[in-house]
Amino acid sequence: MFNKIKSTFLVLFGMAILWSCESDLDLVPEDNRETAASAFKDPAAYKQFLAKLYAGFAISGQDGPAGDADLSGLDEGFSQYMRLYWMVQELTTDEAVIGWNDGTIKDLHNQNWTSGNEFIRTMYSRIMYQIAQSNEYLRQTEASVLDGRGVDSSLRSEIDTYRAEARFLRALSYWHALDLYGNPPFVTEEDPVGAFLPEQTNSAELFNYIESELLAIESELKAPGANEYGRADQGALWMLLSKLYLNAEKYTGNGRYSDVITYTNKVINADYDLVDDYQKLFLADNNTNGAQNEIIFPITFDGINTQAYGGMTFIIHAAVGGEMDPDEFGINGGWAGLRTTSALVNKFLDSEDAEISEVGDERALFFTEGQSKEISDISSFTDGYAVAKYKNVDVNGNAGSDPTGDFPDTDFPMFRLGDAYLMYAEAVLRGGGGSEADAAGYINELRARAFGDSSNNISSSDLTLSFILSERARELYWEAHRRTDLIRFNQFSENGIWPYKGGVPQGATTQAFRDLMPIPASDLGVNTNLTQNPGY
Amino acid sequence: MRTLIKSTLMLLFMLPMSFFAQNTVSGNVTESSTGLPVPGVNVIVQGTSNGTITDFDGNYTIQNVSNDDILVFSFLGFTTQEIPYEGQSTININLDEDAASLDEVVLIGYGATSEQDATGAVEKISSESFNQGAVVSPEQLIAGKSAGVQITPGGGAPGQGGTIRIRGGSSLSASNDPLIVVDGVPLDQRGVAGSRNALNSINPNEIEDFTVLKDAAATSIYGSRASNGVILITTRKGKKDSPFQFTYDLKTSIGNITDKVDVLNADEFRNLINNTPGTDPSLLGNANTDWQEQIYETSVGAIHNLTATQGVGNFYYRLNFNQTAETGVLSGDYYERNSFNIALNQDLFDNKLKLSLTSKNSLDKNKFANQGAIGSAVAFDPTQPIYDDTLPFGGYFEFSRQSGGEIVQQNLATRNPVALLEQTTDKNQTRRSITNLNAEYKIPFITGLKAVVNAGFDYAEARGNTFTPLIAASNTSNIDQFSNYENINRNLLLDAYLNYKTDVSFLNTTEVDLTAGHSYQEFYSFSDVFGTEQDQKVDFPVDINRNALESYFARASFDINNKYLISGSIRADGSSRVAPQNRWGYFPAASIGWKLHNEDFLQGSNLISELKLRGGYGETGNYEIDRNYGFLGIYTPSQGGARYQFGDNFVPTLRPEEYDEDLKWESLINYNAGIDFGFFSNRLSGSVDVYYRETEDLIATVPVPAGANLSDQLLTNVGATVSKGVEIGLSGDLARSEDFNWTLNYNISFQELEITELSLGDDPNFFIPQGGISGGVGNNIQLWKEGYDPTTFFVFRQVYNDQGQPIEGAYVDVNGDNAITEADKQPYKKATPDYYMGLTNTMNYKNLDLSFTFRGSFGNYNYNNTQSSNGFVEAGTNTPSNYYSNFNSNVLASGFENSQFFSDYYLEAADFVKLDNISIGYTIPGEEMDFRISATATNVLTITNYEGLDPEVFGGIDNNFYPRSRRFVLGLNFAF
Repeated sequence: MFNKIKSTFLVLFGMAILWSCESDLDLVPEDNRETAASAFKDPAAYKQFLAKLYAGFAISGQDGPAGDADLSGLDEGFSQYMRLYWMVQELTTDEAVIGWNDGTIKDLHNQNWTSGNEFIRTMYSRIMYQIAQSNEYLRQTEASVLDGRGVDSSLRSEIDTYRAEARFLRALSYWHALDLYGNPPFVTEEDPVGAFLPEQTNSAELFNYIESELLAIESELKAPGANEYGRADQGALWMLLSKLYLNAEKYTGNGRYSDVITYTNKVINADYDLVDDYQKLFLADNNTNGAQNEIIFPITFDGINTQAYGGMTFIIHAAVGGEMDPDEFGINGGWAGLRTTSALVNKFLDSEDAEISEVGDERALFFTEGQSKEISDISSFTDGYAVAKYKNVDVNGNAGSDPTGDFPDTDFPMFRLGDAYLMYAEAVLRGGGGSEADAAGYINELRARAFGDSSNNISSSDLTLSFILSERARELYWEAHRRTDLIRFNQFSENGIWPYKGGVPQGATTQAFRDLMPIPASDLGVNTNLTQNPGY
Repeated sequence: MRTLIKSTLMLLFMLPMSFFAQNTVSGNVTESSTGLPVPGVNVIVQGTSNGTITDFDGNYTIQNVSNDDILVFSFLGFTTQEIPYEGQSTININLDEDAASLDEVVLIGYGATSEQDATGAVEKISSESFNQGAVVSPEQLIAGKSAGVQITPGGGAPGQGGTIRIRGGSSLSASNDPLIVVDGVPLDQRGVAGSRNALNSINPNEIEDFTVLKDAAATSIYGSRASNGVILITTRKGKKDSPFQFTYDLKTSIGNITDKVDVLNADEFRNLINNTPGTDPSLLGNANTDWQEQIYETSVGAIHNLTATQGVGNFYYRLNFNQTAETGVLSGDYYERNSFNIALNQDLFDNKLKLSLTSKNSLDKNKFANQGAIGSAVAFDPTQPIYDDTLPFGGYFEFSRQSGGEIVQQNLATRNPVALLEQTTDKNQTRRSITNLNAEYKIPFITGLKAVVNAGFDYAEARGNTFTPLIAASNTSNIDQFSNYENINRNLLLDAYLNYKTDVSFLNTTEVDLTAGHSYQEFYSFSDVFGTEQDQKVDFPVDINRNALESYFARASFDINNKYLISGSIRADGSSRVAPQNRWGYFPAASIGWKLHNEDFLQGSNLISELKLRGGYGETGNYEIDRNYGFLGIYTPSQGGARYQFGDNFVPTLRPEEYDEDLKWESLINYNAGIDFGFFSNRLSGSVDVYYRETEDLIATVPVPAGANLSDQLLTNVGATVSKGVEIGLSGDLARSEDFNWTLNYNISFQELEITELSLGDDPNFFIPQGGISGGVGNNIQLWKEGYDPTTFFVFRQVYNDQGQPIEGAYVDVNGDNAITEADKQPYKKATPDYYMGLTNTMNYKNLDLSFTFRGSFGNYNYNNTQSSNGFVEAGTNTPSNYYSNFNSNVLASGFENSQFFSDYYLEAADFVKLDNISIGYTIPGEEMDFRISATATNVLTITNYEGLDPEVFGGIDNNFYPRSRRFVLGLNFAF
């Protein structure tokens, strides 16, 4: 017995030593997570990764609506791309105020933000995230990598288009970075993934990079309307080029207005049409109700499939409060935050004392019941007219697909034909060539739609830059263009006054350095290659 | 493996059975030095289960003794005596103190040493000094008992686990929890999903002692898991040669909350709403409801322990069955533990082979009350009724609106707290077994050499479900909301080591103690959820995580001439969670000790009975992070509504995750110096330790340079912290006599932790916001910054008027730019204490005993989030839809109209002294049975200036804290 025990024990002791030596410390995921090596065994992975690049503008993580966030520096819902982009483009202007108590949110409208502002920081993080993801896409789809994986030729030709779209989306984000921050860090697919310190670029260089990228992929993208809905095509690229050129003077000091004419013409001559009813552009079925012919590049949302607490969910819910009936907006309740200032309302009025209800412009989609036109307390939802532009109902008033009323179907019209018309007209006025008659014609198409007839049409002689700026507000308010427009017209900071600009009720001008957002202090702290923008 | 278990079991059940009933022997046992009787001495007929225990006067009677039997008299701390029976009717015994056994054995990880020979900061806390009361969570047994060990009880939920910090923790994003080793099995530091407290499967009644390893000289044998200290828990075993004993122990308790949050009552609320311009008083109701009164109730609990122990020859066992059941003070909360502990020991072949099987098996049942009710109760409009049958919410009042002719709940409105408690169910069952087999074999022919194998597993399985019916207002979807989940945590261990002890003739005599071994542990977790998401039933993807740790360790200790101690150890850890190039980490330690009391000049001193100096250096690691594959580039598919529209299809997405391919252990370097002393025959004893620690390659989630990685923040090795402290423990026997004994234990710990490096860059102003608060979204009140404690608050400095009233929105313009922006926020105060202390009193007079424990904490601040989130007018009036919500009464004091979340007005000193427990007991010894009755009160008294409910809030952000109950406990104990 003793010997048996002894030998058993010794065997066991030996096993204990050996067991682990066989054991493998090289473990890989066993659930649905994949390593790069295993993920791309599935040919569908290339399209799914591309879908991530698009979804980066619409949702906030891998578990819709929330639960597995892309970014961890701020609340997941707040960190969503379109929500942040909308906030920095609209809350900083005369078009919107918000009543909440979230950190430094009110500083955006007060124009007293600092480099510590978490919304400015997270916008920056989100843009750079989007760029880094696109870079990773390009690394994973390089010819040599695809060779190594034995990807067949039919898939490879699809991947070529995907790559062009990835570069388009990266250029779009870089344009946002250029417009907001001027001198952001610069990374491409040539860089590794790690914790290295990216070099800082400057506006002029970045402008050239974006331009060269877009020109390089123009022929690789599909023709307007030839791609699947939601995906970028040449129309989207021309719009982005037009916007880049229209603001080129701000970015580089050199106007490129004739290029605006060139590329807006390409858009205008493509097969896009204004939808008959302005409101249709902002409804749950704006991908099918005719608005899809006017919308050149949407950020898509869906009540069931594309859910987030940012994007349209934010824009619609946050704008509902007070006496507004959530049912009319196809949602289960308002978040009571967003309104507008009297400065926007007055742009629709002949005189400041006129009533907005008397206005014939269909674009004046304000909700006034129980709301005061002027704001005395920004925190109070009923101060300032509410905006009833975006809704999660279809043309017949039926709510969108999400039966809980949380997540809208409404797609965000990032680029649309109406904007192309206005850009064309502005470029004409700024000496880019083109035709003033055409410009007036395009503007009148928009105005005729707005007023239902030609009674409010303008003539070429009415076309002035200040008219254009106001018309852009009337046509494009709350579509995330306003900050860029005001800066181009030099009305954002040291000129231009609207309620609570500068933090005072009557409004005050601010210093010109605020035309650029600060590089976030958190990134300056880690990346010693960066220099802060002047003034901050 | 299987063969061994089989043969072990066979041996265990081969119980000796040969008795021949004969004569009776009685007698008296006294202590030889004093002549005093010794109660509780084991008297047993060797090799049988026949035995008894001496009574309080040292008398015993034992029956069925036959000629040539040997009577064994044993008692802890005395030399065991064996008397052959040759027909005597009376055998009186004088027991001698056993000098060796007075020097208590302490575990040090893969072995043991004596207290006198320990060179590290090691403290053993035995059952006699445990906290009294109806203790459900094991860590509460030692709260306040040990210097450098801070145990913050969790909230008041039954069975809720606390937070243990040894020397304060030194990490940022990695865990700061100590490694817990139960009977040689290191538990998974990530706990058990679905359980209220991972330690609850260890029945507090069955814990023999805790050994706390504080400094790296002691902990580094546990290598990469040792930076936060190690707690070794030893459970109770049977005793060799002991008679059968059966014990029944009962503790029943009732508890109530001690206070409620100060909110406005219905009249005050009406008054405030009516006097606030722009409000609509028609939204108010006519009721007067104290919502907090509605959600709290008296908690009751009972703990039963049934224990049987016996030592039959070389086989000894202890069996324990425990049932613990307790309701919470929050209505509907319930915790139940059913546990069965087995400890079997068999010594074989002249004690050459010692087998020990311990198995802790438990079945926990939980009903979790919806803790959202706590926040709702302080915010719900007190003018509204609890019930309203006219509304479609199951009879409860809720804020509602008309939608398409139907009444629906107002989105985002506060929910009726009573409905939250009564309409939601959330329950689970957790099964767990922690079992290990330990074999210790003295190798023949080589004296002093033994081999030890320890094989263990820890398996836990939680199954539970949550349910919220469609009718509940908290359910905003169109179907019943539910989730059914299953979590499995499994951890397998196999340790093997050799230990060699010998004496060599070097400087008279040097005792040598060498240990070397190997360990392998694998951790596996699995979780699966089937449930609803909005209006859909979803089978969520399973989550599987596996990691493995392989280790080699060695230790050498020398005791030279019984005066000079030298010890060194090293551990090599290889983890699957670390990138191959950094996979192996090496953790050395060295320490020395000088037993001054054994020097000639102190020999025979009447004053000094013990004096030892210690010093140690060690390196340890920490890799307790959530991620298993942090160094690998992983792709995560999307789930739920995270698809993107391409044409008519919604394409799921695939996301590459951020990663740091060089991610490695956090390493901690630790210096410790200590002195152990005993005066007047150890009537006054204690120790003082000072330490200095540097953590490098800190694992922290920090902003990564934008664009450089695949997210905005990355878990990476960055930065450093320095912590230092002084710990003093004192124990005094104020009275030592036959009838009256009185002992006081006191400990105090001073500690300081500072971030010395944080960023990948070198910007001194760099900081990372921390400490999310309630109120607004994404608001933080703390920060990490170089030069500050990681719990430092980040606030505006409030400006006050002449009357001492805060001026709304007026803050100190720190940077002098004439504007208050977030650039004017200042790091100010911190949540961790500067020092904390514990005082334990135990005394007994004859059969009556009294004990109490005080605990105190000083220099810690709380952010009173309960006040800041509801203590301004707009918090109640500027709501998203047509309802108002209640205010914290502080609104009347501050007068704030708008939120002032970041004002230091809400930072309050949270120093406290608590009388944790006071217990009185009476023991009635009997012939057949000993009986003990005790009465205990816990959470008796809190002395503090803090305005919130309870100053003791881990992390320093006081927000809708589950209040701890004050409990009264009646204990009965029957020992047969």
